Amino acid sequence: MAFTSIVRGLMIGTREMTTPSPTRGLHVTAVPVGIVAGILAVTAGAFFDVRPPEAYGVCMACHARDVVNWTFNLLAGTHLEVAPASLVYPVLTPIGVVIGALLASRNNGEFRWQTPDSSWKTFIYGLLVMNFALIAGGCSIRLLLRTAAGETLGLIGFAGMIAGVILGTFWLRWRATR
Amino acid sequence: MMAATTTLIIGIVLGYMGQRSRMCFVGGIRDFVLVRDTYLLRGLIAFGLTAWFAFPLVGLLAGSRPLPPVGSDIVAVILAITGGLGVGYLSTLANGCPFRQHVLAAQGVTSSISYLAGFLVGAVIFHSWIANLLLRLLP
Repeated sequence: MAFTSIVRGLMIGTREMTTPSPTRGLHVTAVPVGIVAGILAVTAGAFFDVRPPEAYGVCMACHARDVVNWTFNLLAGTHLEVAPASLVYPVLTPIGVVIGALLASRNNGEFRWQTPDSSWKTFIYGLLVMNFALIAGGCSIRLLLRTAAGETLGLIGFAGMIAGVILGTFWLRWRATR
Repeated sequence: MMAATTTLIIGIVLGYMGQRSRMCFVGGIRDFVLVRDTYLLRGLIAFGLTAWFAFPLVGLLAGSRPLPPVGSDIVAVILAITGGLGVGYLSTLANGCPFRQHVLAAQGVTSSISYLAGFLVGAVIFHSWIANLLLRLLP
């Protein structure tokens, strides 16, 4: 009895977290975003010099790494690694995403300050996710992009990521039902 | 300069659409496992399929480039699996992939802003210490 109610609570929570509220503002579903992201990521690499490495069009982890390391190198004179595509000027995807999402949330009245989770915990999560992403050679987006480009290591990393998500989901469910 | 401007524009487009759609590249698998909800999973599959079709098409137009050599390098395979597992597991616990965290940070979620702070510090830590450590430990 308790189990079902907790799972139902978890379900409702997830739906509220992920499914868009269709009541106000411009409404976009996930499939068009995927298609646009795919086209932009591939054309960026082929026609707009976002390479090498290959399949580098969109990646939140590697591009954030490039931005922060490039800035760090400029300010502190260090020689932290950046991708060859970012040697002269860094790729600015993370900054663009933040600007775009800020515009979207402002325009559609969805911007509001909130703290759903402990800041130290999420700080550590961010730190660890970045390190694992750099070990794998890409965040969730670029792992799939490399898979689509036919890279075997990308496919292996993406398979590992799916396994990790499934493990994480089971862990969340197990913790919620205890 | 070209790459910087292009990626900035791509980022703005994806950030705007991502905020309107709640797109997450990890949440799709999580929602499917948890409640058999395919809304985000369809976005993930659409991204993969589009890129899969677009790579050969663009290769015809721009001239295809050779992929990096695929050796039977066991170390690279282990690193890819470990990294992938870590990204998937920790992103699920953190409630969204890095892309989603950027979007959430931009709409005022302070825990995602601290996630991004950790993300940026993580990059410096990785290239200052972790990468060297891995190079020393691995054959």
